[in-house]
Amino acid sequence: MVSRTSSASHSKTGDKSATSHPSSIPVCPLANAAANGIRQVIDSDGHLTGDLAEPDIPNDELIRLYETMVLVRAIDDRGWMLQRSGRVEFWIPHRGLEAVHNAATLAFDAKDWIWMGYRHPGVMLLRGAPLLQLFTQFFGRVGEPLKGRRLPTMMGDGRINVVPMTTQVGSYIPHACGAAWGAKLKGHDTRFLAIFGDGASSRGEFHSGMNFAGIHKPPIVFICENNGWAISTPQSLQTASATFAEKGDAYGIRNLRVDGNDPLAVYSVVREARELAPEQGASLIEAITYRMGFHTSSDNPDLYRKQEEVAIWEPWDPLTRMRKYLTGKALWDDARDEALWTRCKSDIADAVNQAEVLDFPHPATMFDDTFQDLTWMLEEQRAQLLADLEEPT
Amino acid sequence: MSAVSIAASNETTVLEALKAGMAHAMEADPDVILLGEDVARAGGIFRTSTGLFERFGPERVIDTPLDEKGIVAHGVGLSLYGLKPIVEIQFSGFIHDAFEHIMFCAARYRWSTGGQYSCPMVIRAPSYGGIKGGFWHSQSVEAYFVHHGGVKILCPSTPEDAYRMMLAAVADPDPVLLVEPVPLYRSLSSSFELDGVPAIIGQAAVTRGGRDVTALTYGPIRYQVEQAAREVAEKSGIETEVIDLRTLIPYDIETIVQSVKKTGRVVIVHEAPLSMGFGAELAAVIQEKAFGYLHAPIQRVAAPDVPYHFSIGDEHYRPNAKRIRLAIKRSMEFEF
Repeated sequence: MVSRTSSASHSKTGDKSATSHPSSIPVCPLANAAANGIRQVIDSDGHLTGDLAEPDIPNDELIRLYETMVLVRAIDDRGWMLQRSGRVEFWIPHRGLEAVHNAATLAFDAKDWIWMGYRHPGVMLLRGAPLLQLFTQFFGRVGEPLKGRRLPTMMGDGRINVVPMTTQVGSYIPHACGAAWGAKLKGHDTRFLAIFGDGASSRGEFHSGMNFAGIHKPPIVFICENNGWAISTPQSLQTASATFAEKGDAYGIRNLRVDGNDPLAVYSVVREARELAPEQGASLIEAITYRMGFHTSSDNPDLYRKQEEVAIWEPWDPLTRMRKYLTGKALWDDARDEALWTRCKSDIADAVNQAEVLDFPHPATMFDDTFQDLTWMLEEQRAQLLADLEEPT
Repeated sequence: MSAVSIAASNETTVLEALKAGMAHAMEADPDVILLGEDVARAGGIFRTSTGLFERFGPERVIDTPLDEKGIVAHGVGLSLYGLKPIVEIQFSGFIHDAFEHIMFCAARYRWSTGGQYSCPMVIRAPSYGGIKGGFWHSQSVEAYFVHHGGVKILCPSTPEDAYRMMLAAVADPDPVLLVEPVPLYRSLSSSFELDGVPAIIGQAAVTRGGRDVTALTYGPIRYQVEQAAREVAEKSGIETEVIDLRTLIPYDIETIVQSVKKTGRVVIVHEAPLSMGFGAELAAVIQEKAFGYLHAPIQRVAAPDVPYHFSIGDEHYRPNAKRIRLAIKRSMEFEF
């Protein structure tokens, strides 16, 4: 477990290698983790760095974590192709971001509430949502609890305590904080996780959430997933703070930086923050990672970043590091890896085939759930829609 | 119910009614909490919540940072977890920073989660002019919140409505914007039973019967409408039926249409700006549902589309009895 807990553990001068500055000489900040105040368990080869101790995760859970990370990568590969071939309307890639949300989810208990971002399908999978539910959501069809109302990947499911996020970036930070505060006021031992991006830290909601959290100490872990880019905006144009973690200092919130491509380190610091939450309240964890793909299927990253910058992150790929770590522990090998990928692709193909033939929601269902009981105005609009549908075209 | 300007000992002011409503709701349900700027130790800047902090303690009556966005957004989170927050915005003129969390979050959690989550919460918005407050403290913002579903909007204009609507708002399973009549807080009182019975949301009240013209209004400007109705009755024998809408979302279409079919003439009065205001919706729905009954174009009396003027706004920005009277006459005198 982590021993150093405060901002004293991270650099006050920011990353020695500012990857987000387009003209800088590219060096991955994870290569100088100690100098950058970034906590690690393993290096790029999956060997222990000697910084954080190995977390106490049973072998079968370690394997489940890796398998989910691979499945998440395979979903991204497939989702991208589905969008490019016009079968899914929109796609938000998550390549390279498999460590943070999966490891963090594993560090929380099933009764705990999670607000995930839109690059975090592993949260759903680790909480037990079937692959078919995810693809039904991607295709906007009937059969998943969100009823086709939300863009692909903007998921959640109350049955597994994953609150479907409000999609305006950062807007759900105070919602999660308020819910955590509610649990504290009610005397419940429910704990909370909210994952958001570096861009979200610029929004007023970040301020509101951190400020209230500092005062009322709700049991919540905030993860700022610093993936280098908010669409085309690098860190240098997002904030003059040396780190996103240190913003916590201003609010009296425990904060630290972690290697966001090291699932073991993420698990360690998140689990510790969760354990401390009832006593110490919120933690703000900045997880340093990198968005390898486009912002969305509507983006073109060639307009704002160089391929050389992307390339420096390749050796730090979270899947590669985790696979090497597991191989070093004799828990994994090439044959198992090949079989895993084959299984993931096959399972995804099955889910695609099943989801794509499901119906779209009936138009009249768009009125449902506006209020618990529809107003006469909505009843009238729905009746008109149904009447118009009956007319010949 | 009679409105008087000085509270008799057995009468309840609007402020007291709101407080009694909150106290009753908090007594009945431990999940009901109040949060906002200065609501606890100070009892709110209007003293609406005086004594509630002492009665219910610091975990249920909570002073927040000066952050309207944060107050509403944390209220959203509290309600998602199962509490029933009453959040106070000090003046509705400061509510704009919280707009996203009312209309794009609280109003949409139920829909956008397929009914899995909801935000039962009350947003208190002290509103309206007539208090020499300038445009920061005299806003009528309700029309910003009526454009899509998800939030109910209640506009009490009497102490009894303030009490019962507070109870109804807390009991409602969806977010409710309670548009509180600041100019009536202390100036209006009445006698009624503090019996814990909530208002029925969506019912208008015919506050004065009349056969000639229908006046539709809500909030404290209702009393100027009633004054104008009395004046035209005395001077010209015109009988104006005054309808206090009481609820904007959902509004009481049956009472409106029934009256319009009787009178054939309509004057709409609100103190929010004219263009695209709530009156525009009323005019549209009346021509849809009672076109053949209309004898004259629908008249609207409202504030101009400019900010609330500090020194002359109370007299010339808010609709007054004279302007309402003239609109009633225009309606009566119209010829095809």
